[in-house]
Amino acid sequence: MTDEPLLAIENLSVSLPRGGDRQFAVENVSLAVRRNEIVCLVGESGSGKSITAHAVLRLLPPALHVAGGAIRFKDTDLATADEGAMRALRGGQISMIFQEPLSALNPLTRVGQQIAEAIVTHAGAKLYRSELDARVVELIAAVGLPDPPALARSYPFQLSGGQRQRIMIAIAMANEPALLLADEPTTALDVTTQKQILGLIRKLQAERGMGVLFITHDFGVVADIADRVVVMRNGCVVEQGTVDEVLRAPKNDYTKALIAAVPGGRPPTTHSQALGSDPLLEARGLNKVFASRQGAFRPVRRVPTVQDVALTLRPRETVAIVGESGSGKSTLARMVMRLIEPDTGSIDFDGVDFLKLKGAQLRAMRRKVQIVFQDPFAALDPRQKVGEAIARGPMTYGTPAVEAIADAKRLLARVGLKESAYERYPHEFSGGQRQRICIARAIALKPLVLVADEAVSALDVSVQQHILELLAELREEMNLAMLFITHDLRVASEIADRIVVMRRGEIVEQGETQSVFGAPQHAYTRELLEAIPGRSLFGRPHEPSANVCFA
Amino acid sequence: MSVVAITRYGGRLSAYVLGIAYGAVKIIGVILVIATFNFILVHAAPGDPAQVIAGQSGAADETLLRQIRSAYGLDQPYLVQLASSLKKTLTLDLGYSYRQQRTVLSLLLERLPATLLLTGTAFILSLVFGTALGTIAGTRAGKWSDTFFTIVSLLLYALPVFWLGLMLVLLFSVQLNWLPPFGYVTVGVEMTAWQRIADIASHMVLPTLSLAAVYLAIYARLMRSSIIEVKQQDFIKTARAKGVTESRIVMHHLLRNAILPVITVAGMQAGAVVGGAVVVETVFAWPGLGRLIYDAVLQRDYPVMQGIFLVMSIVVIGLNLLTEAVYRMVDPRISVRSVR
Repeated sequence: MTDEPLLAIENLSVSLPRGGDRQFAVENVSLAVRRNEIVCLVGESGSGKSITAHAVLRLLPPALHVAGGAIRFKDTDLATADEGAMRALRGGQISMIFQEPLSALNPLTRVGQQIAEAIVTHAGAKLYRSELDARVVELIAAVGLPDPPALARSYPFQLSGGQRQRIMIAIAMANEPALLLADEPTTALDVTTQKQILGLIRKLQAERGMGVLFITHDFGVVADIADRVVVMRNGCVVEQGTVDEVLRAPKNDYTKALIAAVPGGRPPTTHSQALGSDPLLEARGLNKVFASRQGAFRPVRRVPTVQDVALTLRPRETVAIVGESGSGKSTLARMVMRLIEPDTGSIDFDGVDFLKLKGAQLRAMRRKVQIVFQDPFAALDPRQKVGEAIARGPMTYGTPAVEAIADAKRLLARVGLKESAYERYPHEFSGGQRQRICIARAIALKPLVLVADEAVSALDVSVQQHILELLAELREEMNLAMLFITHDLRVASEIADRIVVMRRGEIVEQGETQSVFGAPQHAYTRELLEAIPGRSLFGRPHEPSANVCFA
Repeated sequence: MSVVAITRYGGRLSAYVLGIAYGAVKIIGVILVIATFNFILVHAAPGDPAQVIAGQSGAADETLLRQIRSAYGLDQPYLVQLASSLKKTLTLDLGYSYRQQRTVLSLLLERLPATLLLTGTAFILSLVFGTALGTIAGTRAGKWSDTFFTIVSLLLYALPVFWLGLMLVLLFSVQLNWLPPFGYVTVGVEMTAWQRIADIASHMVLPTLSLAAVYLAIYARLMRSSIIEVKQQDFIKTARAKGVTESRIVMHHLLRNAILPVITVAGMQAGAVVGGAVVVETVFAWPGLGRLIYDAVLQRDYPVMQGIFLVMSIVVIGLNLLTEAVYRMVDPRISVRSVR
């Protein structure tokens, strides 16, 4: 590692348009990336970390402008370089990869062509087609994808999320860049895929001696990949240093709070009363096959999503269903709610055969199981007052309006908002606040079972922590049983009494949280646990080492 | 991109052909349904079907009516009549216009080319210029050129076709005397082939412009909003991060993605363009199907109305099939994921 910085950002400020909640998106930020090192830029949403990276390539949204400071890459000042010089650097000397691997690729163009475009754009001389093809295939092979020639001919929609992100990396690597900007490249991926992609970035970085500016909100990822860490908050750098300095002995209070908020490190929540013994909900032999037509003369494609699954939930118990995307965990939860009808199987819920119910009886049972969704932005009607969103449910079940409105206000206060929030609209609230509103809406119906479908996955860790605490409190107050669906084992370890591990529509392992994490029986469970980022530092949930990382 | 060696339709060819075949089957089905409607139309019209077919003017004498009854099998049971009428439709026997003293088929074949020429030109013009204007406006959203084109397209959209047609005639034919005000060709003049083509083209200018104006405005508005939406997507940022030039981003990444909704709407509008021809052809005395249907309705010439109904439906279905084929070419996801 030489001391000469590859990228030096000095006192960078990026101004926000007038009328924002602050004047600068990024204020006086200084940081450096050297050759052959990975610098992690960490912070919560709105901290300005992504904007800093975009400013380097001058890819800021039109409303944002660099207001001051310098960005030096080797000998060029990127803040003042002309557009032609910037274009030569983009994708040539400096590459960037983004968070969403699907939307980051042109849906109408074969991935091979998209890689080729990056090569051709920066090729000095005209390339022969055979040469170009060979280079594309070589790049696809370098990012560890199978059958490169065939893969080059596929379209983005034919690839999985992990494969797409590998293609993005191949595009970024096309011209052997000196610097890679990676903007949350693994956030949208499953843990096992995330582990692979992190390994790939590490490998390519070491082979080529690249400097990497890696943006993430996940301290687990930081622990796995970073050489140095820069922590940002509200557009300012609050702390920077080597990964050991920052993670093991953070000096700044905000850094400490963020690290403490990383799920899986805290002791699990407990119950004040014993769990019930008779099952509240018992599902047996649930199956669901999704059929899709691919054209008039093609056979119908059948995708078994849930296969022969049995699930029990006792009163006051919290069961976490964990698994990767496509494992069928959401489908299972929706079948239990009868939002999706199972093909076969039976569900006994609160002493009734739930699947037999129709009409008014079914409607009466529906209020006993409520759901909180993942995306708090899409889960609320943007044109309905939040108070109404909460009060409408009880009102349709016959609660007088006056009472329902009073209840809604009380619930808003209970979930940590002001009663005056009743009259406001969803867009006036942050993601965490909206999720609180969604929780209030769900519990307004006084359900027996609350289904939380990735309810904290879209939130920052500090917000996530508060929502988990709120859910744990409500569970006690209202004697709620919870089905907690998550892809994040660290979160599951904190809130669940029992863990159900799903893979490809089947339950591969289930048991008490302690035993599943302490002594996983199935290879897949072990694989998932291995893939949890930051194990070197934070340890495995429920391991003695878990809480001593920065004592 | 030309540089990567790939066969465009490699593995998708079979799905492509099957899709088209499926469309052809659909066409025949729809033709049969239309023929059934045609049958009902005549029988639902007040009075004796034979009189309806002869044209309700009372001019037809008993011999003619008897002739029609036996020719159309009107003395047979309904189902037999329906079957024979379907069979006639499939063999392109569309009946006889007693009003015009000609077979309907020969009437239609004589008028169809003029309509296809007019509507086809108007459709292509509006599509090409509409997407071009929309692209310019969309890529410059918020700038003065965007505002200008937006206002122009709104104006065009708001103008009634017949009014625009008459105003164009007043300006370019009556005042400036640049273009012929109506008709298809200049009658009674000896011309070489090239002169004849030029003559028809000059006759076409005004009706085509009036017909194209509205659709041009629709496509421009649609393309503009589609461009603005696609412009914000991540893959545009990816292209920029690759160092691709702005012009290539527009041509290669933006246009192709943004044009998808325009293709969908254009396919649906194609039928409306043919319908819009009725007004334009009447205003400009254009000897096409639109004029024919106008006259047929006034004269209650049922066999002609039935024939036009059938032909227009086939044209519209054909255009929809074409749209689908174009869509399949542009968007690779369609062959795998069903459109409907």
